Amino acid sequence: MGIRLDSVTVAYDGNVDTLALDSLDLTVEPGEVMALLGPSGSGKTTALRAVAGFVRPVSGRVLLGGRDVTDLPPYRRGIGMVVQSYALFPHLRVDENVAFGLRARKTARSEIRQRVAEALEMTGMAAYARRHPRELSGGQQQRVAIARALAIRPDVLLLDEPLSALDARLRSGMLAELARLHRELPDVSMLYVTHDQVEALTLADRIAVMDKARLQSCGTPRELYRSPADAFTASFVGGANLVPVTVGTGGVSFAGAELKVGTNGVAAGARATLCVRPHLVGLGQGPNQLAGVVREIQWRGATHRLYVEVDGHTVMADVRELKAPPVHGDPVTLHFMPDDAVLLPAEVSHG
Amino acid sequence: MLVHSRGARWAVWTVFAVLFLPLFALPLLVILGASLATHWSGVLPSGATVAHYRAATRGEALQALTTSLLTALGASLLALTVGTWAALAAAGLRKRYRSIMDALFVLPVAVPSVVVGLSVLVAFSQPPLLLNGTRWIVILAHTVLVTAFAHQSVSAAITRLDPAYEQAAASLGARPAHVLWRVRLPLLLPSLTAAAGLCFALSMGELSATMMLYPPDWTPLPVLVYAATDRGALFTGSAVAVVLMAATLLVLFAVSRVRTRASYR
Amino acid sequence: MAEAAERTRAVRGRSRPPGGSRTSNTAPRPFGALAWALPPIALLALFFLYPLALVVQQSFRPDSGGTSLRPYADVLASGAFRHALWTTVWLALASTAGCLLLGFLLALVIAFVPFPGAKGVARFIDVYLSFPSFLITLALLFLYGSTGIVGSFQFLTTPWGVLLAEVTYFTPFVMRPLLAAFSQLDTAQLEAACSLGARAPRIVRQVILPEALPALAAGGSLVLVLCLNEFGIVLFTGAKGVTTLPMLVYGKAILESDYPGACVVAVVNVLISVGLYALYRVVSRRAGA
Repeated sequence: MGIRLDSVTVAYDGNVDTLALDSLDLTVEPGEVMALLGPSGSGKTTALRAVAGFVRPVSGRVLLGGRDVTDLPPYRRGIGMVVQSYALFPHLRVDENVAFGLRARKTARSEIRQRVAEALEMTGMAAYARRHPRELSGGQQQRVAIARALAIRPDVLLLDEPLSALDARLRSGMLAELARLHRELPDVSMLYVTHDQVEALTLADRIAVMDKARLQSCGTPRELYRSPADAFTASFVGGANLVPVTVGTGGVSFAGAELKVGTNGVAAGARATLCVRPHLVGLGQGPNQLAGVVREIQWRGATHRLYVEVDGHTVMADVRELKAPPVHGDPVTLHFMPDDAVLLPAEVSHG
Repeated sequence: MLVHSRGARWAVWTVFAVLFLPLFALPLLVILGASLATHWSGVLPSGATVAHYRAATRGEALQALTTSLLTALGASLLALTVGTWAALAAAGLRKRYRSIMDALFVLPVAVPSVVVGLSVLVAFSQPPLLLNGTRWIVILAHTVLVTAFAHQSVSAAITRLDPAYEQAAASLGARPAHVLWRVRLPLLLPSLTAAAGLCFALSMGELSATMMLYPPDWTPLPVLVYAATDRGALFTGSAVAVVLMAATLLVLFAVSRVRTRASYR
Repeated sequence: MAEAAERTRAVRGRSRPPGGSRTSNTAPRPFGALAWALPPIALLALFFLYPLALVVQQSFRPDSGGTSLRPYADVLASGAFRHALWTTVWLALASTAGCLLLGFLLALVIAFVPFPGAKGVARFIDVYLSFPSFLITLALLFLYGSTGIVGSFQFLTTPWGVLLAEVTYFTPFVMRPLLAAFSQLDTAQLEAACSLGARAPRIVRQVILPEALPALAAGGSLVLVLCLNEFGIVLFTGAKGVTTLPMLVYGKAILESDYPGACVVAVVNVLISVGLYALYRVVSRRAGA
């Protein structure tokens, strides 16, 4: 079942000046995993809660499987939801937690038993059915929360920062689990809210990037990463060097240097922003050279990150671990391949 | 944590003991001692006896104990029902209405119990509801007096309740009634039992409104304690007071056992 | 247009602050919610507000018949009433001040200079709250009364005896919220203050006291009201010398059967305690508590 948000606007306290969500248009195809990615306060959780029915839009419509559910209360929407805190009922055992949604729907007892077993099996929690939530670790609670949401066999699964309460090691394990679940349940659409670009890139079929209550861009992970359409998306998904340039013929000029990049027919003389991923910037001689001074150097094990000041702008470069890294204040030369750069409309806000 | 030197710590503890023991421990010890004695003219009571207790657990006193227990049980259950209902209903209201409702239900705390007694006496000594002279007027007054406390502690617990639980339940398809019955009330159970214990204890010790209302056949324990002291039988009064305290504590202990079993975190 | 207005209002009703906080939006719709609130309000109105209104009405109905301010004039003119009013107010204020001071000191020791058995003392405080107030006076009767251990001087029949009993009985009402507040206080704050070279008095003043203010305000307001309305403690002293407003209500209604007079005193008592309570809440809220 697909999800559609049709210019959904949400205002808190009835205050139209501070919108929590500004006419969001978004379609999640049946069986698709859509990640809502953005910093905190960007409106991504509000969008998810509008789908769940916990916030009521001032205007716009929410459709599930083509049916307008804007006026339906949450309990009539038939969605599964997993939140950051899991919200497992502390007074119920694991199996009772999983059975909760089925009991609420007055499902037949034998059916409940079978479906609870199935959901616990699927999340690998069958051995813990008789325990109480307080006797489980964070990762186990997470699995129970997912099993509880899956037991009602929802067509739509909403995940609100489901991994952010877990430590880094558990998180990558759970990420693989979620990917497996998605393969096992190919018909379930998932809306996955996160502020972590790695989760979004790993799991999502498409990513919707949000900032300041608005949708900034939406596309497959590859599209957003390889050819972002705006500066915010470029820097939030994967990190990027963004520098202001002037477009010339067959290239751009930056810091007195002529750089060869595709201009995509942008008129000569226009202002634009050049976007290059740090790991695509090389140290030493090469095409599209930039001369600068090292301002900071961070050793990250496999790589070194250099912060190089070029004509008052900081350019980041991630290079393979250096035997003899430059030190603070050393003059260095950077370069990048022409087709590794993307030219964005001029608006440098996140550099 | 706050005082690091050994000497200073002992000094602080000494001050604490000097303030705490005479003020709080001594009165209870005095009553306990007096209840077991016939004379008290020196430093310690003399003439050890359990005769007061024999008197305090039969006849008139036993009946008063039953009266008190029944009154407290009835009043606290009624108060818990009304107070919880009000607190739950208030939680669903908009902020402005909610604060009006909270203020209304706090009001009985601020109104003197004697005045509550007087007002109930004035209102229900006449038809259509003629309750004066019956036990119901005592139970009614106690309920009015303790409902405010029940409401306050339950509504504090509701505020602390994480809305994520009820939202999770709603997303799983549970209607509001199902959420209330299967999620919110079970989660509130520890606070509900605490509120019930508080109401019970308050009602057991209630004297002011009771003094204005009690009919001869429905004399609760505090009235009996007063009657004993008033006619100078301080030692008998002490024994009845100890029975009152013991009964209250026993019930509170039982309630707290329920509470321990009902708390999940 | 009307529909749009309706919508905005509905949205305001289910509002939540922006950002991460997840307040409830699953509440029933406003109409249903109001309907649910009606039964308890109706009960409160029938058994509390209506009787209270009758008391006010009766206070304007002298025994001689008709409606007049006569009962007020009579009561306000009597010296006994004015004396009782003054006694009630100063006793309540003094007791509250005493309870706040004593309760703060004792709670401070229990929470921050803990000794073996401090937990037991804290539990004892909880138990203490469940006993009726007149027990204290009963005990004081043995200690200071006419058959007294300490002495048979007439200490109990003076307001000072009542003050002592009230401070004793109501101090735990201040200590309980304070202990709860202290247990929430992050000890890292104290350690930080200590490592910065602050001594105990300064830490108490600058770190603990600000954190304790809401609890002090809550406990203080409750104690103030309870002291204004205390009846058992005064009744048990058996003293004619100390008469407070609740005693006067009881005396006029039950002993003298002067209902209009009792109602007048009751109205004044209610006005004072509700008024002082409201004032106290406003002031303590202003003070940032």
